[in-house]
Amino acid sequence: MLIRLESVQVTRGPFTLAADGSFGPGIHLVSGPVGSGKSTLALIMAGLLSPSGGTVCREGIGSLLLSLQFPEYHVTGSTLAEECASWGLDPGPILAAEGFGGLDARDPLALSRGELKRLHLACVLLRPCDLLLLDEPFSALDCRQKEILSGRIAGRGGITILFTHEEEFLPRIDQYWEIAGGRLHDHGAGRHTRSGNNDEPGRPPESAGGPI
Amino acid sequence: MIGITGLVHGTLSIENLSIPPGITSVIGENGSGKTTLLRLIAGIDEPEQGSVTIGGISPRMLDAGYVHEFPDRNLLFSTVSDEIASSLRFRDTPCPETRARVTEIAAALQIGHLLCRPARDLSGGEKALTGIAAALVHRPQLLVLDEYDSHLDPALCARIDTVIRTSGANYIVRCTQRMDTAAGGDFVVALEKGRVAHAGTPREVFPRYENTPFFPRSWRGTAC
Repeated sequence: MLIRLESVQVTRGPFTLAADGSFGPGIHLVSGPVGSGKSTLALIMAGLLSPSGGTVCREGIGSLLLSLQFPEYHVTGSTLAEECASWGLDPGPILAAEGFGGLDARDPLALSRGELKRLHLACVLLRPCDLLLLDEPFSALDCRQKEILSGRIAGRGGITILFTHEEEFLPRIDQYWEIAGGRLHDHGAGRHTRSGNNDEPGRPPESAGGPI
Repeated sequence: MIGITGLVHGTLSIENLSIPPGITSVIGENGSGKTTLLRLIAGIDEPEQGSVTIGGISPRMLDAGYVHEFPDRNLLFSTVSDEIASSLRFRDTPCPETRARVTEIAAALQIGHLLCRPARDLSGGEKALTGIAAALVHRPQLLVLDEYDSHLDPALCARIDTVIRTSGANYIVRCTQRMDTAAGGDFVVALEKGRVAHAGTPREVFPRYENTPFFPRSWRGTAC
């Protein structure tokens, strides 16, 4: 089971992205500054966007799923029950397990964004697939839900690729990647960055209330 | 001060809460009432019961900037430049002044290169930055930011903190799921199931969340 990027190129006005690399079974993390092309790469790997050049080869991958960074883009049902059913899932157990019991008839877009993200990801992770592409899966989730999501991601097989800024609540990552300077870099099993945007956040200044 | 008294609104219930000037972070689990509170403070909604006042007057009497938690709901116009300029144009600010101010706020947030881009083509983080610029451009007295940092990296969050601290807004009320960001503000309101569980400075509030995911990462391993 493998997805391989061979001389993939994207050119869109001044924006460029070049990507080569092989993604095997395990959990991969792709980081990069805002606007560097993480979502573009996710779309290309999902086969939803054609690169300007190069090829994407999928070997032994029978099924794939892409979770977009905005959960609202996935909504097709007008109720929570319809939304779960649109994923081919039985709504009752999911809604009960995720804390939405009795809210079957609620409009998904009337949920808070974090709640919508939680429901969306619960549906995604209940669908078995060989390749799972998660674009900013942790955004809008509260800290406790981020921990829960990390555990769920760690518990699945196949290839999982996280495109995210998240640094704190992550499952064990098998391979780190970074988009910097218009190119995808393979950092292997260790986390090293070129752009420096993954540095530890600074301790709060004492004047702002940090403990001594 | 922001004064909240006898408030009942949907699932939110707050008997008494005073929020001082400066940067306040509202934290809590998804569905705990953070957005409901932010909308009331911004004057978008009016309380079903009780009152919200800012410096003794209604939030609706204040010049406010607001960033919605759904980034697309901050974008009404087709280009980034038009979006950021919109609140100045609605108040008939002269064109040269509008252009200068749009350029200034875009430079502060380092998004000058996006000004001519169609808003629909932006990445998630770029949409968030555009929303923040549009909320700041008219120098509001009150700035309300709902999950504005969901699609931003820590370096950008630090830059935004600098910009909002120097924006001239007396009150900045924001909701964030980054506890390190919340710990860098002046005041924290922690909501649990529609009630204020804790309110105070970060030093007063966060020790109550030690050994939970809500304790700031940069504080871990340090004595409180």
